[in-house]
Amino acid sequence: MIEGGIGWVALVNLVIWTGLFLYLLRLEAQVRDLEKER
Amino acid sequence: MRRLLPWALWLWICAVIVGAFYYAPLAAKFIGQSSRILFFHVPMAWASFVAFVAAGAWSVLYLWKRRPDDDRAAAAAVELGLVFAVLATLTGAMWAKVMWHAWWNWDPRQMSIVIALAFYGAYLILRGGVEDPEARARLCAVYATIGLVVAPYLYFVMPRAASFSLHPQPVVNAAAKVEMNARMLQVLLASSLGFTVFFFWVHGLRRRLLRLADRRAMTAATGSVAS
Repeated sequence: MIEGGIGWVALVNLVIWTGLFLYLLRLEAQVRDLEKER
Repeated sequence: MRRLLPWALWLWICAVIVGAFYYAPLAAKFIGQSSRILFFHVPMAWASFVAFVAAGAWSVLYLWKRRPDDDRAAAAAVELGLVFAVLATLTGAMWAKVMWHAWWNWDPRQMSIVIALAFYGAYLILRGGVEDPEARARLCAVYATIGLVVAPYLYFVMPRAASFSLHPQPVVNAAAKVEMNARMLQVLLASSLGFTVFFFWVHGLRRRLLRLADRRAMTAATGSVAS
């Protein structure tokens, strides 16, 4: 399935996870701000 | 401290990813590197099960206490459970293509997750089909409570009851034993824990968003009545 080394697959996994994580962190900050407004 | 918890989760999942590719050995009788998908596929299926059971638990709480927040929590859990179940199905199909040379094989475990997707998909259809918020919450809570019996059956009983399956043995096998390489088991458990915490984090976020949306709808309704 993953010929020619698995390093790049691990790296892509790390990048996707970090991107998703940062997006969720930003979303959480936005929700917190909205809750404060109300 | 609370701000550090998400970062701890980030670090944990990063460690799981590195562990899945560099620490855990390859499983025997698997083609190429395909066994590494186990560390993501199984925790996703596990997280979907946790989500569906949590939805049932919040539904029981709603029927008991009649708090709208429990209804929102159940709805958010079903939504996320479906996302995790779809991801588990897709990763399973990718693995099946490598091992069985076909994306779909009508295997008992594939069928059980499809039935779970249909069952909880129907929950969302039911939610969208009833306008009165109280009737909707009550009906959905009863439905998700039934899921407390359906989900364990679909995830644990049905695949084991089948006389034949191409799917590898479950983590806890028919003899109630875990026969897995220690390193693989460590990464699998760490990943399952990480995905479970991730589910509860995102669930909290979704629940708060639903609460804000409900408040906004209520304010809009009150405003239109006043005007």
